[in-house]
Amino acid sequence: MTTALPSQSAPSAALPGLDAATLSSLKKLTQYYAVTAFIALMIGVLLGPLQALNYGGINVYDYPLLKVLIKSYYQGLTLHGVLNALVFTQFFISGWMLYLPVRDLNVRPNMRFAWFTYLTMTAGLLTAAVPLLTNDATVLYTFYPPLEGSPVFYIGAAVMVAASLLVAGQVVWLWLAWKRAHPGRVTPVVTYMSVATWLMWVVAALGLVVEVVVMLIPWSLGLTRGVDPLLARTLFWWTGHPIVYFWLLPAYISWYAFLPRQAGGRMASEGLTRLAFAMFLVFSVPVGLHHQYADPNVQNSWKIIHMFLTFLVAVPSLLTAFSAAASLEDAARAQGGRGLIGWVRRLPWGNASMTAQVLAMVSFIFGGAGGIVNASMAFSPVVHNTAWIPGHFHITVGTATTLTFMGVMFWLVPHLTGKRLASPRTALASVWWWFTGMMLFALGMHWQGLAGVPRRAQVSASAQQAVYDAMHLGLPKAITAASGIVLFVAAILFYAVLWRTLLSRRVDDPESTPIPTSEAISAAGETLAGASPLVRRTEPLLALTFAALVLVILVYGPVIAPMLANYQFIPGQRLW
Amino acid sequence: MSRAPESAPPARLDHHALERYETAWLGVAAVMTALLFVGVLASVVSGTYPLLDAGSGHAHDGPIVRGRVDPKNLAATPFAKPGLVVDAAGQPLLNDQGTLDAYIVAGNFTFQPAVLRVPAGVPVTLHVTATDVAHGFEVTGTNINAEILPGHVASLTVTFRHPGEQHAICNEYCGVGHHNMITRFVVDPPATGAKETQ
Ligand code: HEM
Ligand SMILES: [Cu+2]
Ligand SMILES: [Cu+2]
Repeated sequence: MTTALPSQSAPSAALPGLDAATLSSLKKLTQYYAVTAFIALMIGVLLGPLQALNYGGINVYDYPLLKVLIKSYYQGLTLHGVLNALVFTQFFISGWMLYLPVRDLNVRPNMRFAWFTYLTMTAGLLTAAVPLLTNDATVLYTFYPPLEGSPVFYIGAAVMVAASLLVAGQVVWLWLAWKRAHPGRVTPVVTYMSVATWLMWVVAALGLVVEVVVMLIPWSLGLTRGVDPLLARTLFWWTGHPIVYFWLLPAYISWYAFLPRQAGGRMASEGLTRLAFAMFLVFSVPVGLHHQYADPNVQNSWKIIHMFLTFLVAVPSLLTAFSAAASLEDAARAQGGRGLIGWVRRLPWGNASMTAQVLAMVSFIFGGAGGIVNASMAFSPVVHNTAWIPGHFHITVGTATTLTFMGVMFWLVPHLTGKRLASPRTALASVWWWFTGMMLFALGMHWQGLAGVPRRAQVSASAQQAVYDAMHLGLPKAITAASGIVLFVAAILFYAVLWRTLLSRRVDDPESTPIPTSEAISAAGETLAGASPLVRRTEPLLALTFAALVLVILVYGPVIAPMLANYQFIPGQRLW
Repeated sequence: MSRAPESAPPARLDHHALERYETAWLGVAAVMTALLFVGVLASVVSGTYPLLDAGSGHAHDGPIVRGRVDPKNLAATPFAKPGLVVDAAGQPLLNDQGTLDAYIVAGNFTFQPAVLRVPAGVPVTLHVTATDVAHGFEVTGTNINAEILPGHVASLTVTFRHPGEQHAICNEYCGVGHHNMITRFVVDPPATGAKETQ
């Protein structure tokens, strides 16, 4: 893999292309985003195995040494959730989905604005980190009121999320400038996927922004007498479901556009790819009530409508499964693969980056299937808020997304820095350990959840052990505890590779490791006039965003209006 | 990692074959989605699990309006006397919907009443609210599982077919005592249930 594909578009007079100085600044910025993300993940992931031990019946939270660092299980869990699910993802994605479209379009971004955005996001993170570390915001990463954290936490979190919207704005701005300079052209597919994801995130983030800015910040500052916990949850889940697509779609970008080339093949169909992302843009947001099936005072008819739309967003994920499998099969057969599934052996399993992503996809088959179960109103009461749920999302965001990003780092760091991946064999091992650990984790936690074990609970310290003993949890507890150890080993191997790579000297021209952009079996073509109807109809992303907004208002308006009409002022409490 | 020479593989997927598979797969995905939705809808309609009341169904005594209640003023509501609603003689009272009512209060890392008792064989409407922060109300071995919010009343109607003992577990993080918030949930045999008072 040494040939770079020609850049998608030549710069035009109206729109300056990337020059060497801007490119090097952009690469540095991307590296900052990615490394900040992986530092956050490292801290979060150190806490994970302790939680796994808890669900294995082993309570380590009374050790004096640990007590110095974290006051309680719940402080640790808050850090784990915030650092992994909110900080790691957002920083990595902001860097990744700024870098890719800029390279794809070959446009020159305003680097001062881009650095300002990074610094704002980091400032938000550091601000929020203070109350988290001092145990003043032990409210978990969902911060449901009326548990009341320090205002500093809400303000820091708001600044961090606002910064991600600035990245979104910059990418959309660059894309529009490119469109103006290239009338009649089809947006190249990597840019298409990135812009669609950013626009989806803008619509999605509205709920959280309103919750935090209008409700939580004034309340935690003592300016209002209370907040309505139901309205707060509803606004939270307006963002809280689509945020999982905001985590997932950047991984899909890699599965669609880069993984085929890494496996030695071609991307399947550009048209289908665009259709999938257009569907995600329109249908990701109006589905949040599937997290609130158990909530009182919400009409069941609206819960059912959100459920229907939730099932509908399974379709683009099924399309993704098709495309990914097709392109991998294409790759393997090109290398002499035979048989109905025998071709799998011909994939380049020695390549840690490819292996990470293929295993991430395998984990997502189970994760996606479990997600459909969770989204079914009839099955939800069996699993809601049980250990099943963390079992589920560690094989979605915790593996499908995280393992993909880990795999991406194996080529991205050399591509950004010119440093060589230290010990590709250790990298490969770390990937298998992670996959194995998460599969075990999911098995143990899903099992415990079905038996009735609640999530977010220091069960190992519960005074009522007899209740859990009666559930016969010996095997699933052992599996969960063991998974924590396996994942700990995986993390050590991965971070050994990452830090050794980052701390090594620069030896190559960074561009000698290209972005592995794949060719397509069915390409979209260059001009809109010559493109298929599917490509033409999915091209107007702003119009699709407008449609998404209208749909969201339609399915949230009637849900939120009665909550406003019957607003409850509930005072805050600090119970940790 | 090397890419195969362009001429080596006998049959690589072409544009047209891919399109046929794609369309077929899209059809399969659409049909699966539709079936899934119809299946779950059938389950909702036939009542395989207790649906939460949306705040308009049940008439209460006292200031519970549209499923909302003032958590500082529970004394003026039936939540003041947690447990099964009984008449002067201690007999469970049917409400105008033909079910028994049981009021449950979550707060301060405990449930009230300390032991929840309901009779088997008759529909019982459980009304649960919280005094301080969000809690969960999960009854083991059943599909009773609701989010309990201060200011809001979660109501659901269940008929327990068999007597026995289960546990109600708080499954929403409510603070440092969260993992100890578990209580007994007893379903009495139909005959004695009627006499069950404190
Ligand atoms: C070393 C690997 C990991 C282990 C052993 C681990 C373990 C756990 C356990 C046992 C829980 C459940 C705690 C509870 O409900 O009380 C949990 C929660 C969670 N984990 Fe992980 N985890 C790991 C990595 C990750 C990753 C990579 C992510 C996401 C990128 C992640 C995101 C979360 C989130 C969002 C929660 C929920 C926190 C909450 O309920 O407030 N974890 N983890
Ligand atoms: Cu969701
Ligand atoms: Cu609790």
